[in-house]
Amino acid sequence: MNRPTPSPGSAPARLTGFGRLLRNELWKLFGKKRTYIGFVMFLLAQNLIALVFKLTRASAPMQRLLESAGHTAEAYLSVLTIATIMLVPVAAFLLPLYVALVGGDLVAKEAEDGTLRMILARPVSRVRLLAVKWVAGALFGMSLCLALGVFGLAFARLYFPWGGLFVWMPEQGIFGVFDGAAGLARYLAAHAMLVTEAVSILGLAFMFSCFNVKPAAATILGLSVIFVSFILEHIPYFAEYRDWFLTWHLHLWQYMFAERVPWWRVGQSLSLLVGFNATFFAVGLAVFHARDIKT
Amino acid sequence: MSLPASAGATSEPLIELRGLSKRFGARPALESLDLTVHRGDIYGLLGHNGAGKSTAIGLMLGQVWPTAGTARICGHDVHRDRRRALARVGAIFETPAFYDYLSGWRNLEIFSQYTAVTPAARLREVADWVGLSARIHSRVRTYSHGMRARLALAQALLPQPELLILDEPAGGLDPEGIHELRQTLLRLHAELGLTLLLSSHLLSEVEQLCTRIAVLRQGRKVFEGTLAEVRQASNWVRLGTRDFAAAARRLQEAGLVRQVRDGAYLQPAPGVEPDVLVRRLVDWGMPVYEIARAQQTLEAFYLTLMHPGTGSRPAPVPDVGS
Repeated sequence: MNRPTPSPGSAPARLTGFGRLLRNELWKLFGKKRTYIGFVMFLLAQNLIALVFKLTRASAPMQRLLESAGHTAEAYLSVLTIATIMLVPVAAFLLPLYVALVGGDLVAKEAEDGTLRMILARPVSRVRLLAVKWVAGALFGMSLCLALGVFGLAFARLYFPWGGLFVWMPEQGIFGVFDGAAGLARYLAAHAMLVTEAVSILGLAFMFSCFNVKPAAATILGLSVIFVSFILEHIPYFAEYRDWFLTWHLHLWQYMFAERVPWWRVGQSLSLLVGFNATFFAVGLAVFHARDIKT
Repeated sequence: MSLPASAGATSEPLIELRGLSKRFGARPALESLDLTVHRGDIYGLLGHNGAGKSTAIGLMLGQVWPTAGTARICGHDVHRDRRRALARVGAIFETPAFYDYLSGWRNLEIFSQYTAVTPAARLREVADWVGLSARIHSRVRTYSHGMRARLALAQALLPQPELLILDEPAGGLDPEGIHELRQTLLRLHAELGLTLLLSSHLLSEVEQLCTRIAVLRQGRKVFEGTLAEVRQASNWVRLGTRDFAAAARRLQEAGLVRQVRDGAYLQPAPGVEPDVLVRRLVDWGMPVYEIARAQQTLEAFYLTLMHPGTGSRPAPVPDVGS
């Protein structure tokens, strides 16, 4: 058995070392059926929401609100409005669940299955391995947000006409009315910001995945932290401390629908999310680096 | 097969463990292990469950952090420079784990890329060598146990290793699978000149494969040496004479023999060599047709090490003289 020299044009030679490992991780991640559970559930949930709006009088309060503000309701009972309404519950409940599921799997599932021991019999550093896995997870989070946006528009278009965007988020004090083009830009910007939520929750579950725990435990721990943070954030007495709560900074995407986007607040939260994510990764790495990998 | 065939061991050490210890909490798993595997060795690591074999292998592969000591693989400290230490090392574990939902080919691609760029031609070559070409594009979940074992071998061979580390490689294989594995390992040693280190419970396998062994008991090395040394480690001698019972009785009465068994074997008293026995028997007018040190089986030797103080055979043998 000779060691053939790779030809310069061959696929492996075109990629850098990190690129090859990233491609491996993506093969592993997207080769699993459970990776697609999130996509399928988005599809079902968004269809269901669109159908409820189409077949019931669920849009009546919204129409009254628009008319009381002097707008023509029909112009805003549109693809963009319904897709944005779909976005709120999915981003609040389904997205955290599925990114935490995948984040919790990334290391712990490989440790449980024994493939981690096979990998660590190779001359790859643990730092590099974790970095590649985190990036693959982040790409998954991005793809989930992209799917959420595309599915939302596609399914809303099945039942509603194109038109302006109307958004009402009382908790954030957002009441936005936009024409079609501006509405689409806001919708896309919101999904781009939603990536920060997806990646942060994934990063949190990923950190727990680096501990010596089962994949389900890593997912549950990640979601528990999110729920606890969410509960604390909503206790009125803690209002002045909410900058300390992770979930407070995960609502960035909602500000993309404000008449005037509070960019200072967005920038502040983004920088804090970078800090949170760096901390999650550093803790996960420290724990993983110190671990003994055994059967 | 490009590597030079070198079935014989050389003095170049590929594995050097020095004072290697590992504790899991308060429990010592391995205590001050010194071990050297030279290029060309087929080295067997023996011991009961929990003796520390897998921990030692984990330490060699940098998967387990030592409490004390160093592990040098291919001349490099595996815990400080794993990239160089493991660049030419392949490993196979008792239950090889794969991404079952992917094809064998994809699994080989994934595992090999952790070492270096591996062209498709090399993957095909290795798949062919282990006899998996026909099914290499099928999902691993459809593979039999034997096919998984061959895939494990293929992934271990991809980095063109100099050293192959096998942790209980025959676990779960049927007799035919064990035979096939043994032949493959011997072929790898003979044709590719690979140095092999394997841990095993199967003493017969180790006896048929290995040139050197180490025995671990409760985390401590209790023996390291060649199989020839194991066989010669017996303190029994086989005596051929006209009346064995009478000869044995007189030798026991003279305090030259401690035990007698099987109508042919004597255990000389400490410090008594076979030539002394021969001289005394000839003096007594008893003919000596044959006297030779008894060859010891690995099993008997192993059991002696595991149960020190019980002699080389576990079962007591009736004394002819009583």
